[in-house]
Amino acid sequence: MSKSITGKLFFVLMLALFLVLAACGGDDEGNEEAGGGSEEGSEESEGSEGGEEDSEGSSEEETDPEDKIYDIENFPNQTSNEEDPIDGGHLNFGLVSDTVFEGTLQYNFYSGDPDSQILQFIDEAMLGMDTDHTYNNEGPATFEANEEEGSITFEIKDGVNWHDGEPVTAEDWVYSYEVIGHPDYTGVRYGTVGFTLIEGMEEYHNGEADEISGIEIHDEKSFTINYERLTPSLTSGGIWTYAMPKHVFEDIPVADMAESDPVRENPIGMGPFKVDSIVPGESVELTANEDYWDGEPNLDGVTVKVVNPNVVAQELETGGVDVVDAFPADQYPENSNMENVEWLGDVAGSYSYIGFKLGDWNAEENRVNYKPDEMKMGDVELRRAMWYAVDNNGVGENFYNGLRWNATTLITPWHENFHDESIETPTYDADEANRILDEAGYEDTNGDGMRETPDGEELTINFASMSGGESAEPIANYYMQQWEQVGLDVQLVDGRLLEFNQFYDRVGQTGEDDPAIDIYAGAWSVGSDVDPTGLYGPTQIFNFPRYESEENTELLEDGISEEAFDQEYRKEVYSDWQELMVEEIPVFPTLYRSEIYPANERVTNYDITRYAIEWQDVGVTQEEPVTAE
Amino acid sequence: MSNQQTEKVIEQKVEKSPSGLSIFWKEILRDKLALVSLLFLVLTTIAVFGVSILLDKDEIVRVDPFAIYEPPSELFLLGTDQGGRDIFGQLIIGTRNSLSVGILVTIMSGFIGIVFGVVSGYFGGHVDNVMMRIVDFFMVLPNIMIIIVFVTIVPKYSVMTFSLVMTAFLWMGIARLIRSRALQEKELDYVQASRTLGSSHMKIIFTQVLPNIMSLIVVTMTLNLAANIGIESGLSFLGFGFPQDTPSLGTLLSYATNPTTLEQRWWIWVPAAILILVLMLAVRNVGEALKRAADARQRRAS
Repeated sequence: MSKSITGKLFFVLMLALFLVLAACGGDDEGNEEAGGGSEEGSEESEGSEGGEEDSEGSSEEETDPEDKIYDIENFPNQTSNEEDPIDGGHLNFGLVSDTVFEGTLQYNFYSGDPDSQILQFIDEAMLGMDTDHTYNNEGPATFEANEEEGSITFEIKDGVNWHDGEPVTAEDWVYSYEVIGHPDYTGVRYGTVGFTLIEGMEEYHNGEADEISGIEIHDEKSFTINYERLTPSLTSGGIWTYAMPKHVFEDIPVADMAESDPVRENPIGMGPFKVDSIVPGESVELTANEDYWDGEPNLDGVTVKVVNPNVVAQELETGGVDVVDAFPADQYPENSNMENVEWLGDVAGSYSYIGFKLGDWNAEENRVNYKPDEMKMGDVELRRAMWYAVDNNGVGENFYNGLRWNATTLITPWHENFHDESIETPTYDADEANRILDEAGYEDTNGDGMRETPDGEELTINFASMSGGESAEPIANYYMQQWEQVGLDVQLVDGRLLEFNQFYDRVGQTGEDDPAIDIYAGAWSVGSDVDPTGLYGPTQIFNFPRYESEENTELLEDGISEEAFDQEYRKEVYSDWQELMVEEIPVFPTLYRSEIYPANERVTNYDITRYAIEWQDVGVTQEEPVTAE
Repeated sequence: MSNQQTEKVIEQKVEKSPSGLSIFWKEILRDKLALVSLLFLVLTTIAVFGVSILLDKDEIVRVDPFAIYEPPSELFLLGTDQGGRDIFGQLIIGTRNSLSVGILVTIMSGFIGIVFGVVSGYFGGHVDNVMMRIVDFFMVLPNIMIIIVFVTIVPKYSVMTFSLVMTAFLWMGIARLIRSRALQEKELDYVQASRTLGSSHMKIIFTQVLPNIMSLIVVTMTLNLAANIGIESGLSFLGFGFPQDTPSLGTLLSYATNPTTLEQRWWIWVPAAILILVLMLAVRNVGEALKRAADARQRRAS
């Protein structure tokens, strides 16, 4: 698993990364998951996501080079090289990961962040996105919502073609809905409002209807989707905006698509670059798509290759890669003065967290089976004490030099309109943790120095944490030792860190939760829509804590109701939800993250402010990368 | 023994056949390099095991975020690693662990290999055939890969289970060697004589044949010790050795896979690298001296 990327730790460990989701890569994200997406990611490498907020201005908080605590607000968002790009340039893109990429190169099927990093070059969302995370009409298609009828009409622009020259049609786009909603669909995209709210989708999904009654195709380029109701989630990432070439896939049964040739070996998209060759798990050669709807790309080709996080700094220094999807934040301080690289950075829409298993997955009903009474971590006071026991600011400042910092709620500052800073959350206070545990009846009754459960049984908490990056291991140990300080016996599952893919499998991404895991350190990178249903809704497989409560479900629904078109109302709902999560603690966030984007000095027009990096604009100003002397 | 005694022995020109042990001694005393190596080994072992009793392992593997990558200082003799952990303490405990595994594996694999080899060689014929095919089978397996797989799937492992896994794939070499020697040995008159007198096979094998090939065993096991320490360090280096919270020389060395550590933080990996090198060389020197002592043709003229 690991896919990688991102971060880590969380606790130590990490992080996780995210997979999927959305965010991944920045670009994509957005659309992806609508729901809130999130994907998991990987860790280590830091995440990737695109950032968005801008940091431009800020300089009030000067960083002090002496103690080397950095502030992400001080990083620029775009490269300063203003020369014109040369013709025939070739860019090397480093995919920072300590494992291979899975190679599921189709937006409807991929699940790992590394795959999305490759997808951003070869395919593209049909709708563009503004920096406030709402769709606009600047992409390959336009949309118009009809609020009275609860429908949205889409129209694809002329000149938008697949890599094989076929035009992208309304049918292609609708085909995505038909595949993802299909009963045999094997991927993870279904379940967000972008699908479930479509009229007739449920019948189709259950196999009761052959087609989705709420989707009407008008002509080759336009179609309308009728929703049961409109919600703000739809236009901020809920709409599934990836088309799928029907002429390529129509003969393949849906159940086999994820393993099929056009997904694995000869992926086809409509983005600025086409796939030339793939070395499975290692690298992808891309060449410019001259027929790209928004103009021919500045670059002739791109090589995407996996770079181990341990050597990414050297690769940058020697010009082996020009840009990377995410630079490990813990390596920034020692590399901050690299001569041939310009550092960009931004707040990321991702967070690390500690999750508590409060149930398991009910595969028959496709929903969580929340049963706190049977689970070791079922007592909220125990969970709260564990939150109080960890010093996240210490971790952020010492392991990440301030590039990650103490997280408070489950909506990150990346969604600045919704992140509620006023909510008070537990911060490091070992005495308070001890007090809570004493009151809740967790006492050391047999004199071994570790607390037992209120029933007097030995309490050993099994902690799953991800490997990746050199700080993964010390941070995991650090969290464990902080819990030990308040008398909780926490042990690593299997006595070691788990590799990314294995980690998420065991935590439950396939629905088979490993009962040996009591708590885990993961990370999510979230999609453009603030709606967290995709991660915390009762029917979401990514709800790894397997948490469910009426209040939670209600708030999540309110957040995407029609009333929520009123920003103030929506904001209030999400404030309440953030507060509920602080009270119930199915998971607690540990660190918010920033993303650091190094770029070789020959790279121009590389702007990470945009929700998606506009790869067709990116160019290089000389043949060979600039190298450090 | 003192030098004086040694000289005296030399003067006597070895009138009676000297015992194996005294030959070893003599050889080592005569070879200054081996002597220094032996002294070093003994002192290191005593120091490492002694000091590690005094050190608090939990304290050493304790992560301290406020002391990450400290260079050597009075507080941290050899600096700290990326978790703010004292390298010196890790070096001591790591050396102890590496040595323990090396010794444990050598003894266990030696025991299995010797019994297997001597029984096979002594009986010969079909017994030998079957037993050697088993050895062949184990030898064609890709040992290191299988050890890695085992380590990955065994959920909890300690120094003991780790040693057992290694032992399971490292006993064949010694079994073959002992078997070929036992084959020769059983043809000798003393074995025949003993058999004629009615001694049981067991008695002959373990009280008569075995002592006669003891010198070979000592030499082989000494040389194996160096190899086993190397294998343990290698596996830990790759991340398939000790569990995360158990220091090992290989783990320390693996921190050097981070280029920045390699270039700028020598205190993390140089001491471990030197220690591994010197330890293995020392064991090997001693082993070579023993080998010479055990083989009359190579023994230095006295």
